[in-house]
Amino acid sequence: MKVEVINRRTALRRLLYIAGGTLLLPACYRQSGKETIALTHLVIDEEQENLMAELVETIIPASDTPGGKELLLHLFVFKMVDDCHKPEDQADFAAGLASFAACSREKMGQDFRQLTTDQRIVFLESIEEMANEQVKRFYAITKRRTIQGYTNSKYVMTDLKKYELVPGRYNGYFKMG
Amino acid sequence: MANLNIDSVKTRTFDAIVIGSGASGGWAAKEFTEKGLKTLVLERGRDVVHVKDYPTTNLYPYELEHRNEITYADKEANPIANRCYAYREDTRHFFVKDEEHPYIQEKDFDWIRGYQVGGKSLLWARQTQRWSAYDFEGPARDGFAVDWPIRYQDIDPWYSYVERFVGIAGNKDGLYTLPDGDFLPGYPLNAVEDYFRQSVNKNFKGRHVISARCAHLSEPQPIHIQQGRVKCQHRVLCQRGCPFGGYFSSNASTIPWAQKTGNLTLRPHAVVHSILYDQESGKATGVKVIDAESLEEIDFFANVIFVNASALNTNLILLNSKSDRFPEGLGNDNGLMGKYIAFHNYTARISAEYDGLLEYRTDGRNPAGGGYIPNFRNVDRQETDFLRGWAATFGAGRSPIRDTSGVGNELKNELLHDSKWSNWRVHSHMMGETIPKEENRVWLDTDKTDKWGVPLLHIDVDYAEDDWQRRKDYYEQMTAMFETAGFTNIRTRDDGRRPGNDIHEMGGVRMGHDPKTSLLNKWNQLHLCKNVYVTDGACMTSTATQNPTLTYMALTARAVDHAVKSLKNA
Repeated sequence: MKVEVINRRTALRRLLYIAGGTLLLPACYRQSGKETIALTHLVIDEEQENLMAELVETIIPASDTPGGKELLLHLFVFKMVDDCHKPEDQADFAAGLASFAACSREKMGQDFRQLTTDQRIVFLESIEEMANEQVKRFYAITKRRTIQGYTNSKYVMTDLKKYELVPGRYNGYFKMG
Repeated sequence: MANLNIDSVKTRTFDAIVIGSGASGGWAAKEFTEKGLKTLVLERGRDVVHVKDYPTTNLYPYELEHRNEITYADKEANPIANRCYAYREDTRHFFVKDEEHPYIQEKDFDWIRGYQVGGKSLLWARQTQRWSAYDFEGPARDGFAVDWPIRYQDIDPWYSYVERFVGIAGNKDGLYTLPDGDFLPGYPLNAVEDYFRQSVNKNFKGRHVISARCAHLSEPQPIHIQQGRVKCQHRVLCQRGCPFGGYFSSNASTIPWAQKTGNLTLRPHAVVHSILYDQESGKATGVKVIDAESLEEIDFFANVIFVNASALNTNLILLNSKSDRFPEGLGNDNGLMGKYIAFHNYTARISAEYDGLLEYRTDGRNPAGGGYIPNFRNVDRQETDFLRGWAATFGAGRSPIRDTSGVGNELKNELLHDSKWSNWRVHSHMMGETIPKEENRVWLDTDKTDKWGVPLLHIDVDYAEDDWQRRKDYYEQMTAMFETAGFTNIRTRDDGRRPGNDIHEMGGVRMGHDPKTSLLNKWNQLHLCKNVYVTDGACMTSTATQNPTLTYMALTARAVDHAVKSLKNA
């Protein structure tokens, strides 16, 4: 459990980059509680948080560069759904998240977290054909927000695809390579 | 006590008072203070000091809490502000929130406001085109509104005067409908914008596509360096406030310039209640102000008063300036104040694709935004069923194609590598002239006030049938021009924008020759109270198609020149 706490502290430091401000820090770090991030509307337990971490890691896996879990995209997804989505979306998201594990067991015979990477991908790709609208909606939101969080992360914008705050130029006839 | 009182009046007395610190108010402040007049600028909002008060200006996307998205709670609380294209997480602190400053919509009207030092000059789209002779002659020739009391040659030198200080990037295009100015180098069109320019030039007589003219320092001159402004760095994050002063705002330019003279007193948090009128002298004597924070009532005095509160607020202040002599508002004997409000019709868009010139794309960002199509309708003669015409933007670009259908390493690679690019996507939006109509008007509520005791404004403004005729013409003509250029997948779209959302509200205190049919004379003085000048959007007799701010600034500089000469002669 000690290890878990340290991880959470590391996570919180990075959260400053994810959430973009210091406002969150005092409220969200509750060692005894279940949440790593302060949320107003969503109620997320530790189990769900861990599941979400695996989900974003499956969508954006670590390779020679960090993946979704290390970049805390699971917390970013929660943050954006909590602050920027309408209540109907939040309800679908919460319901979809709650039934996600059951869906996985039903479809793949195991919890999502126990699946191999390939099995996880097979499962995610099957979601579109599922009858459960809330799981579909949950996954669509999660995927969109994961992609947004990844491409707009400090890591990607600094080390992989440099964002230019001050381009200082414009070329309307740039020759394609 | 008596002495104290006299001293107090003395400290509250200035040579000139300017109400408002946006683009036109900032110009009034600069001109008055440079000419040696002790000038008080009243701003209802807070102070915004250049660079220091631009909290988001250097933030990277990942430093914005919601990556520049507006939260759901904000959208629910501020539907009006949220309909403005520039209202984002990085700019929202410069916009009025809906509940802070209510108004009464008789019909849907988005009143977009920026209450702070600098006003909306921090937030504007920075497009700056001169009016032409055709525009000033319009009402007289076509028989609407009233004749403008000025012509192009009256304002031409003042356009130049303002352009040199502001810094306008543009090309000498030699067009009668859009006169050239004193320009810095223009921003070139990109490959497809340039191709479209040539296609239109070859196939459509009298129509032109030019580089959009904008208030950016493409090549700063000594006068700009003296202001502390340097070359535009192509950030295109302008509405955050620019640390380089790369675009013109009151904050970067006129206000600090006025401060350097030592003649400026800038008073933020000063809500103007009304203008004080003295029947004996037949002049305005000052301004009644409510301190926005303490609610204290304070009178300030001056020989001359400029009203630059933004078009509709200028109407509000003048309508609320009631006296025995002017029970319906200062200078409003004819009852026309608040009427003939007009705006620009921005409801139409058109987009298409182009499969040529795929060896090119753009790199960096263009502060001008792309191309501009000056109005070509009804210029030499009346040729359509509707009066006047429309101008349009034109832009082209390409973007990386990302297949996000997969997950895992496949998706990660897609997101990190721009291996495929779309064809060219071209787009345009319309800027239609509207005809001022008496029924488009504002007035004061007789009962409800805001928390400073100022009556709430009723706004009753709508589109009319001729606006849809102009829009139909825009769709038809742009489609023809796009087809001729070989563009495909052409789509027109009504964007459902409400009046006001063009943020070009004009009129209500219009200029004219005759006190019976207008409120202001050719020097922007109230016909009936000559030491009060109105040089913001409220003064406009008609709207033309140009973005109006440059014209307000030129009219302001011209009016201050007149006011100072009048004071010296008195």
